[in-house]
Amino acid sequence: MSSPISPACVHPEPALSRREVMAVGAAGLALGALPAPARAAAPPALAELVARITEGAVPERGRITFDIPQLVENGNSVDVAIQVESPMTDADHVRWIHIIAEKNPFPDVARFHLGPRSGRAEIRATLRLATSQKVAAIAALSGGGYVIADADIVVTLSACIDGG
Amino acid sequence: MTAAGRALAAALLALAGAARADEIKPGSTFLSPEMQRQQQDQSRNPGYLWVEQGEELFSRRDGVSPTCISCHADPKQSLRGAAARYPQVDAASGKLVNLEGRIEQCRVDRQKQPAFGYESQDLLGLTAYVASLSKGMPLSVSAEGAAKPFYEAGKAFYERRQGQLNLACTQCHDGLVGQKLRGDTISYGIGTGYPAYRLEWNGLGSLHRRLRACSLGVRATQFDYGSDDYLALELYLAVRARDLPMEAPGLRR
Amino acid sequence: MASFNARITMPAEAKAGEVVEVRVLVRHPMDRGGQVDAEGRVVPRKILNRLTVTYAGEPVFRYDMHTGVSANPFVSFTTRAIETGELSFEWREDGGATFTRTARLVVT
Repeated sequence: MSSPISPACVHPEPALSRREVMAVGAAGLALGALPAPARAAAPPALAELVARITEGAVPERGRITFDIPQLVENGNSVDVAIQVESPMTDADHVRWIHIIAEKNPFPDVARFHLGPRSGRAEIRATLRLATSQKVAAIAALSGGGYVIADADIVVTLSACIDGG
Repeated sequence: MTAAGRALAAALLALAGAARADEIKPGSTFLSPEMQRQQQDQSRNPGYLWVEQGEELFSRRDGVSPTCISCHADPKQSLRGAAARYPQVDAASGKLVNLEGRIEQCRVDRQKQPAFGYESQDLLGLTAYVASLSKGMPLSVSAEGAAKPFYEAGKAFYERRQGQLNLACTQCHDGLVGQKLRGDTISYGIGTGYPAYRLEWNGLGSLHRRLRACSLGVRATQFDYGSDDYLALELYLAVRARDLPMEAPGLRR
Repeated sequence: MASFNARITMPAEAKAGEVVEVRVLVRHPMDRGGQVDAEGRVVPRKILNRLTVTYAGEPVFRYDMHTGVSANPFVSFTTRAIETGELSFEWREDGGATFTRTARLVVT
């Protein structure tokens, strides 16, 4: 066990370099697996998880905003906010918003069921994230389509040993 | 060697002097702006779930007589500022008591009920509630008279090197303030946010729980909840924080 | 178990048609299961798995929670003010226990 204040434990906040690495990796995989133009450049694991809840449909990007800290202070409680552009009428509304954390032990994290009575498609919640990973928010629209937004996040483990 | 490593080495070589009183800033200063906002937001700071529990206990009857509120009527007024004066020396026993100790004393001596027990959810709730009634009030504990020997003991504890890592509180909590340590930012050694909701704990905890985590961190003896050692240290920390606003229930990483 | 506390924050009144934000903070450890406690026992999974909200009897929001939801979870959603009535909140816990709270919205 290293001492709790050894330089090795002082995180140099590697957020940027890590994100760059992941972005390159994701792009490479997408290029290999999908003919251009790829509609949603998600790595296969996440794509499969998404396909499971969209009954195979590939969600479009856009109209959905997913706010999540890129550098998470503590994975025990991570604030997220999701907003979908929608008139939220009987004819055109968001049916649900689903969150997937691909590297959580149980990747399906939460689902929020909305409807015309919601007025707006706006949700905030607190999640638990096991590790640095890609997190996605998928919204199901009343017309049958889906929209997706995702984010690569780095979880800075607050690993101070706590005996109390 | 990283910048933090060099700073650590420098601090270890020269025993850091204690921070001057006018330098010491509240623990919340070292939170992200988002967490600072959440601490202030009663609809969002989970510490208020414990405050709410404490408020219910304060007037609950179920056979307990007197209730807290039968002596401390209108607590929002009558107890405003009370928590800011703890720890203090109990006149009858000559012992140093903190807020948790005073609540337990009421419970046992006046209500004739078994003590809740340190770090029990009920005691945390009551402590958080009473502390919240002083939110924003300046700390005003005494280090004089009967409190002086306790203050001196607490100061000695804070400055004494301890544990396998041979570190004194002051080396990190004055000498390395603002540096990163395992994903957190080192703050001044004060306890104005406690009891606090720590994300790491997934719950509310007392200052003594936080002190026990520090003791373990430097591989030193973990003293008991409510021990004389931690009480004296708590008094010293409160004197250091004199005139800073009470923040409990604080939100911490 | 620790006491069940729920803090529901929303306006007491709203104009008809106005969209109001409802914030819900609830006390629950959300035990995801599998951890070993201080006595060496494996903690079983016990989470709040669903929050259902009705407004004047009509369902307006549902939150399906899994193990990736934080302890003492917070959620915020919106609803359109239609008529004066009660918002009713029901949480369902693993094992079948339920907890309920209500809040009144006056529509002018």
